[in-house]
Amino acid sequence: MIQKKICMVGAFATGKTSLVARFVRSIYSDVYQTTVGVKIDKKLVNLNNQEVSLILWDLHGEDELQKVRMSYLRGASGYFLVVDGTRRSTFETALALQAKVEEIIGAVPFILVLNKLDLQADWELEEGAIAQVIQQGWTVIESSAKTGLGVEEAFLTLTQKMVEG
Amino acid sequence: MSVSDAEHPVDETSVNHSSNHSSSDEDALAELRNLLFGVEQRQLRQIQERLEDPKLRAEDLGKVLAEAVVLQTLQENEQLTEAMVPTIESAIQASVKKDLTVIADAIFPVIGPASRRAIATALEATLQSLNQALENSLTPQSFAWRLEALQTGKSFAEVVLLRTLLYRVEQVFLIHKETSLLLHHVAAPGVETLDADLVSAMLKAIQDFVRDSFNTSSGDSLDTLRFGELTIWIEQGPQAVLAGVIRGNAPYELRIVFQQAIEKIHQAQGKALADFQGNAAVFEASHADLEDCLRSRYRHKKQGNTAYAWAAMGVLLLALGIFGFFGFRARQRWATYLEQLKAEPGIVVIEAKRGWRKYFISGLRDPLAVDPDQLLQPVGINPQAVVSQWEPYLSFDSELAATRVKDLLKPPANVSLSLDEDGVLHMSGTAPRAWIAEAQQLAQFIPGVAQVEVSDLIETEVELESIQRQIEDQILQFQEGEAAIAPNQDESLQTLVEQIKRLTTLAAAFNQTVQVEAIGRANNNGSEAQKLALSQSRADAIVALLTSAGIEPESLTAQGIGTSNPLQNQSGISTVEINRSVSFKVSLTDEASSEISNP
Repeated sequence: MIQKKICMVGAFATGKTSLVARFVRSIYSDVYQTTVGVKIDKKLVNLNNQEVSLILWDLHGEDELQKVRMSYLRGASGYFLVVDGTRRSTFETALALQAKVEEIIGAVPFILVLNKLDLQADWELEEGAIAQVIQQGWTVIESSAKTGLGVEEAFLTLTQKMVEG
Repeated sequence: MSVSDAEHPVDETSVNHSSNHSSSDEDALAELRNLLFGVEQRQLRQIQERLEDPKLRAEDLGKVLAEAVVLQTLQENEQLTEAMVPTIESAIQASVKKDLTVIADAIFPVIGPASRRAIATALEATLQSLNQALENSLTPQSFAWRLEALQTGKSFAEVVLLRTLLYRVEQVFLIHKETSLLLHHVAAPGVETLDADLVSAMLKAIQDFVRDSFNTSSGDSLDTLRFGELTIWIEQGPQAVLAGVIRGNAPYELRIVFQQAIEKIHQAQGKALADFQGNAAVFEASHADLEDCLRSRYRHKKQGNTAYAWAAMGVLLLALGIFGFFGFRARQRWATYLEQLKAEPGIVVIEAKRGWRKYFISGLRDPLAVDPDQLLQPVGINPQAVVSQWEPYLSFDSELAATRVKDLLKPPANVSLSLDEDGVLHMSGTAPRAWIAEAQQLAQFIPGVAQVEVSDLIETEVELESIQRQIEDQILQFQEGEAAIAPNQDESLQTLVEQIKRLTTLAAAFNQTVQVEAIGRANNNGSEAQKLALSQSRADAIVALLTSAGIEPESLTAQGIGTSNPLQNQSGISTVEINRSVSFKVSLTDEASSEISNP
């Protein structure tokens, strides 16, 4: 069985924890996130008849970059950049975070998750900006932690990228 | 060498010739030279090229360098070693300056054993001094430990350590340092484990958290977490860390076990660790090393515990035994007491019970019955521990009724009373007429007496008269002319003594005194004076005999009357014989009147 460490990165209140909660049942309480700054969960994914154990490091989201504990990123095989579709600023934060993360752990697979799809009417994101990052080769998945839409797909896609990469 | 030897003469020849001949000659010579030495010239050129090209020279040198160094070393030539020292030193310095981890990783497997050896030496010395210090202490605990040391053959200090350090390694995690992924995990039997993958990641996160939060220097790492009696020891290796979860107080030696394990794993699987991509299957091989870390020292604790438990159990059993014994004995005594009380006439036990330290008893008691408290001491019960309540009552028990009869009737000494089961009071013996009449009347009112039987009771007055008559009928005979009693009269004398004594006793009941007068007689032989003297002597002799037999002399008088009042012939004894005798006259006087008449 292959194990992979992946991180959930994104601005404050973008729904990282909700995405994980949608995906997995946890043994640690959410309190860890605000105390130690990270909450760790595990999810077994079956990819082409191969079991992959994902160790999810859900980092405490902060809007100021330097406050994210970058040491928690070390050893990650992939990560999610989570954006709150209803807040444009979180997209910018995601872009900055991506650069920072890549600086620390190198070019590993990642997925830009545009969360809160259930509130699409309130979305502030610009189509152009998203098209631009897709053009750069980024994988973008729209999701809703509330309805579960796109969540499983996001995890499976990232797993696939990590195993193949 | 062959090439240069050949070349030399050729050169000389060419020089000599060039000074004397034309250029065509030179060409011819060159051709000749080419023809003669063509092969060697090519080789020469190659050699020259090799010598001039540093890359090729390095290649050549590299081929022979190792051999040359070995040869030098074999010749024990220290020049080479000395020559290399500065280079190696600066090489190491440069390496450290560039990247500390390279050297650190390389010497990691060496540093552990070396430092352990140094620490072990230091520790041994410490142990020895500890040993001495403890040997000087004289606590009861140290005696127990010393005894154990003697029994087990261990050093005293070792025993002390064993007694104070008790632990159990419950889980061991092998964690990849870079990814914080779990490589392998072992747990002691019966230990409940959470998801080891998550615990492993969280452990790593906590380490990072501490490092980031408290500004530690880069080389430091979190190596101990403690929570209550749970300790987590983290042993760092270059590529992986080993985390042991220990319950209790783990000794320093355990740390060495952990260190050795992580070193062994690095030695055996260094490459697998470096190339780790998420597949932990290969680290199954470290299972034995990790399991070796699952140590415990429960056994000693258990032994200690059982010893204490046994001792405590023993004390408890002893206490219970003593308690039980005293309890049993107290119950026995109480039962005996109750038994005795119930057997006593005039006592009815209504309620008897045992409290925590007191006894309670209540019932009925005839005032004439035995005092219940007096029975306590003989059976061993403290009277202070008994609270008793006795209501008085009248018992119809024959024994008590008899006692009551005696108390009320106050019978004379020679009266015996007995009350049979039917309540019939039997009286026997001798009593004054007046007492008998009174007793008969009184007895009817005594509870428990239904009837009075007096047929065996003789009135004292009747007996008194009878004895008086018997005494006065006695005649003690003498031989002719003798003043000493005839030898065959002893029995009569004896009877007489008894009769006088009995009479005295009976008369006393009526406050009367007895006076017995011995009357001596003589027959017709001799003068009147002689007869009178003889008769007086006979009366005196009898009084003397009676006195010596225990009759009070005051109640005896003697008088010789000669032949003045001779006795008449009686039942075949001749008048002559019957008057050689002493007969008796009894008179009873009231004590008061006798006192008056005496002076």
